[in-house]
Amino acid sequence: MKLLLPLFLLFTICVVPLLAQTPGAASPKKKRPVPAADSVPVTLPAAQNNSLVKVNATSQSYNLHLPWQKESPTGRRGLGVVLAGGRVLVTAQMVADATYIELELPESGQKVPAKVVAVDYEANLALLETPPSDKQKTFFAGLKPMGLDSTARIKDDVEVLQTGRVGELIKSPLTINKVLTRRYIVEGSNFLVYEAAGIVRSEANSFTLPVVKGGKLVGLLLSYDSKNQVTTILPAPIIEHFLKDVADGSYEGFPGLGMEMQSTQDEQFREYLGLKPDAPGVLISSVVKGGSAEKVGMKKGDVLVSINGFTIDTRGDYKDPQYGPLSSSHLVRGRAYVSDKIEIKVLREGKEVTLSGQLSRRGPDAHLVLPYLFDKGPRYVLMGGMLFQELSRPYLGSFGEEQRGGAILRLARIASHPDKYEEAGRKKLVFLSMVLPTPSAQGYDKLGGQVINKVNGKAINSLDDLAEAFKNVKDSVHVIELDDFPHILYLDAFNAERDNMRLLNGAYRIGSLKRLE
Amino acid sequence: MFAFHTACMNFRQFLPLLAFAVLPPAMAQPAPEPATTSQAIDVGSGAWDGVVNIDVSVLFPDYREPWNAGQPSGGSGTGFLIGKNRFLTNAHVVSNATRILIRTSNDPEPHPAKIVHIAHDCDLALIEAEDAKHFEKLTPLDFGGIPQLNTEVIAIGYPIGGDRISVTRGVVSRIDFRPYSHTGVDSHLAIQVDAAINPGNSGGPVMQGGKVVGVAFQGFSGRVAQNVGYMIPVPVIKRFLKDVEDGRYDHYVDLAASDFPIENPAQAKALGTNGDGVGVMVADVEPAGSVGGILKVGDVILGIDDNPVLNNGLVRFEGELMDMNEIVERKFAGDTIKLAFQRDGKKQEATVKLTRFDPYVRLGATYNQRPRYIVHAGLVFQPMDRNLMDANQIRDATVSYVFDNFLTDKLYVERPEPVVLTSVLPDEVNTWLAPYAQSIVDEINGVKIKSLRDVQAALAEKDGKFIEIRLLEKNRPLVLKRELAEAAHARIMRTYNIPADSYMGDE
Repeated sequence: MKLLLPLFLLFTICVVPLLAQTPGAASPKKKRPVPAADSVPVTLPAAQNNSLVKVNATSQSYNLHLPWQKESPTGRRGLGVVLAGGRVLVTAQMVADATYIELELPESGQKVPAKVVAVDYEANLALLETPPSDKQKTFFAGLKPMGLDSTARIKDDVEVLQTGRVGELIKSPLTINKVLTRRYIVEGSNFLVYEAAGIVRSEANSFTLPVVKGGKLVGLLLSYDSKNQVTTILPAPIIEHFLKDVADGSYEGFPGLGMEMQSTQDEQFREYLGLKPDAPGVLISSVVKGGSAEKVGMKKGDVLVSINGFTIDTRGDYKDPQYGPLSSSHLVRGRAYVSDKIEIKVLREGKEVTLSGQLSRRGPDAHLVLPYLFDKGPRYVLMGGMLFQELSRPYLGSFGEEQRGGAILRLARIASHPDKYEEAGRKKLVFLSMVLPTPSAQGYDKLGGQVINKVNGKAINSLDDLAEAFKNVKDSVHVIELDDFPHILYLDAFNAERDNMRLLNGAYRIGSLKRLE
Repeated sequence: MFAFHTACMNFRQFLPLLAFAVLPPAMAQPAPEPATTSQAIDVGSGAWDGVVNIDVSVLFPDYREPWNAGQPSGGSGTGFLIGKNRFLTNAHVVSNATRILIRTSNDPEPHPAKIVHIAHDCDLALIEAEDAKHFEKLTPLDFGGIPQLNTEVIAIGYPIGGDRISVTRGVVSRIDFRPYSHTGVDSHLAIQVDAAINPGNSGGPVMQGGKVVGVAFQGFSGRVAQNVGYMIPVPVIKRFLKDVEDGRYDHYVDLAASDFPIENPAQAKALGTNGDGVGVMVADVEPAGSVGGILKVGDVILGIDDNPVLNNGLVRFEGELMDMNEIVERKFAGDTIKLAFQRDGKKQEATVKLTRFDPYVRLGATYNQRPRYIVHAGLVFQPMDRNLMDANQIRDATVSYVFDNFLTDKLYVERPEPVVLTSVLPDEVNTWLAPYAQSIVDEINGVKIKSLRDVQAALAEKDGKFIEIRLLEKNRPLVLKRELAEAAHARIMRTYNIPADSYMGDE
């Protein structure tokens, strides 16, 4: 089974933190020198933990370039935490694009299939469930739910749990030494993270690993950098937030403010902004359209001084009672829920203004360029061999650094500065991603990466528009207007349909000419 | 050890650049006179004394510390006498030269020389000996024409492998429009030969029947292709020599439009071409170029100076299929060209006055220029061009985008010379600004920055308490308190050993 995943790439920031996975059974293990007494990963062969189950997941993502087909399946293994109601908690990464998930008892090896009942890729959490059956009953009979402990703080000692080949419990002690905010697996939102120091022993099943303190769950392992022996942990407060949200029946997700701020530590900049020498606050340098900040009336150029009574310092931090100085984003994302009231104080033209309103979440579909894409195939329309797609971050990310010239650079820039396109009414950015060689697209097969402006006179703001536009052809020639060279393409409507029919189940194994769901 | 440095530069490997490059159909012509006899060359006879070795000391400008002189280096190439004290060579042989020495094959004495004319866009230069006397008795070489495929040629020069003159032999393999790697952006007619052309051959004559048919200038690295060398053909050489007749070089002119082949039947029908294979689609037009305001996207170019343009942009010219730009290539700044085109099904004609397209030049490598810059309170401002981008290895997404799409997104219209804040020399006054290095300057104190001169002018204005610098796509302005900046300026110049706070060019 492969343990290194494509997702792993999304995960690296600067240091290339290794996921908590081990080098797998196949790779030779180095003999370890006898470690010093106090940093030994303690192995207690006799101990068991009846709140842990092995989770084996097979995942298969769609091919981003040939969206009608899927990539080869890969396997992931981890340890899930049994919660009340027979549910099992894992990271979302563990079950992203899953085709088959099963739970396994560490000791006996008994297995039951499981399904995802709730998943949040931003918070990187998922809940699994096994449909009721006799088998399920036997499986869960000996298992006990584990409680949550949200009180962990800096200097606390915690343990990473793993199970060995025959189900024996392996504990690696760690000490939390930092609390910060950082993105988990997808871009765009930062969440609370514990950083801990210590050695995590390599074992076979380690994609998701629980971190406990006194028998209660304090978090799930996010990454382990074996070189620096630094571990990041997805902490209990975020898990608690996720579970509460799931429990009320409708899942809203984690709210965000939707703004960008600039520190005001630079004295000359402070003077320019008219801030008093010791005054707190950060400059709001942009406000996202449709985000909570915009809805409560925040404006670019405001100086943010407080959120819900917490003073925001010149770095943009607040003083958290549990963790100390922490990014103000946690005040909203971690400590509040969608629809919660929020009160914000800003300095506007030297005067303090109090703004209040409700928090909301801007979902992935609200973005011009989809920030992530799991469990479903990329949308596409194929016409006469011309493949049209909606731009997504994963698509851009699939190009290596050296391929990023020209068209990809232009598309990547639109992804980072979508405002102009959003204001023009575009919901998604439709582009010509490639051209399969067909008689009707003769001469166009080297094209790729061009943004579509209009088809048959109709402005294209999404793939649905495109599919509609192809239905209204004049003089049996489709006219496709592009944002870039060569600016205009013509496609014979009749021949394109004929080629569509040839493409269906033809050499390219295309089962459907579009995916619009 | 550095004797082959020039060579390394000129033999930079390049791969096919354009996705739409169309190869002309195979030009299979039997060679009329297969030259089978080779004649021994008596070096002692003096017949080849006109082919000289050019030894060059160069100074590579420093685009990272633009106030510094740069890196001294050296190289060696070939040149040949074409008239009274006039030696032709490649521009890249004598680029950035601080000293040029000429040696003939039979005389070890070095003769100082200087550049008379240099044309980087076609990689040619004319140099002259400071003392003409020594070369008075030598016979200049004569030019021939375009040699035919599969006819034999010899390349003469001073390539790697020894000190004395060298001759290699091969045949003409291909005649095509090719990129010239010296600037990295220009393409002209080039002739491919399989005679070995090696580092040091650059600038040397390639001869057939006792006449010069080209100047050896570039090739592929051995890892990419074998026996592929290129020479600059006579039409390009003659064009250069004619251009400089008036005492200065005016550069190539350009249509400054892109074409897209009409291969698609629906496209041909929609554009109204009648299927005879004539006419290429206009796919992009530079508003500031020669045909800006004359052609527009979707027009079909039917003919250029009465030569029919085929659907892939080729014309039959002088018996060969060539890129239609070859007709423009032969013209000079201010010349006109007759364009026949079709718009909305109607045939039209226009006479176009040809001009050089300046924004293009910024994208190519430049030589023999001191880098321009302004340093103010430790902030280093430089105009964006290829040399700067290469030297600084800029990774910033906005700067890369602007450089990469300077033409494609017509960014030059709004900002003809983008200015980059390349670095911040750390000092108390600017300590918070370091993360903003490698950004494009949008405005200074409300003045839109379209060139380095605008930066100079904006900084010369002493109004207001603050210097406020807005960067493109960076979300906060950089702010310096004027009095602090002025006070720090001299100190920073001293500390970082910067002799002058700006160099604005010698124009």
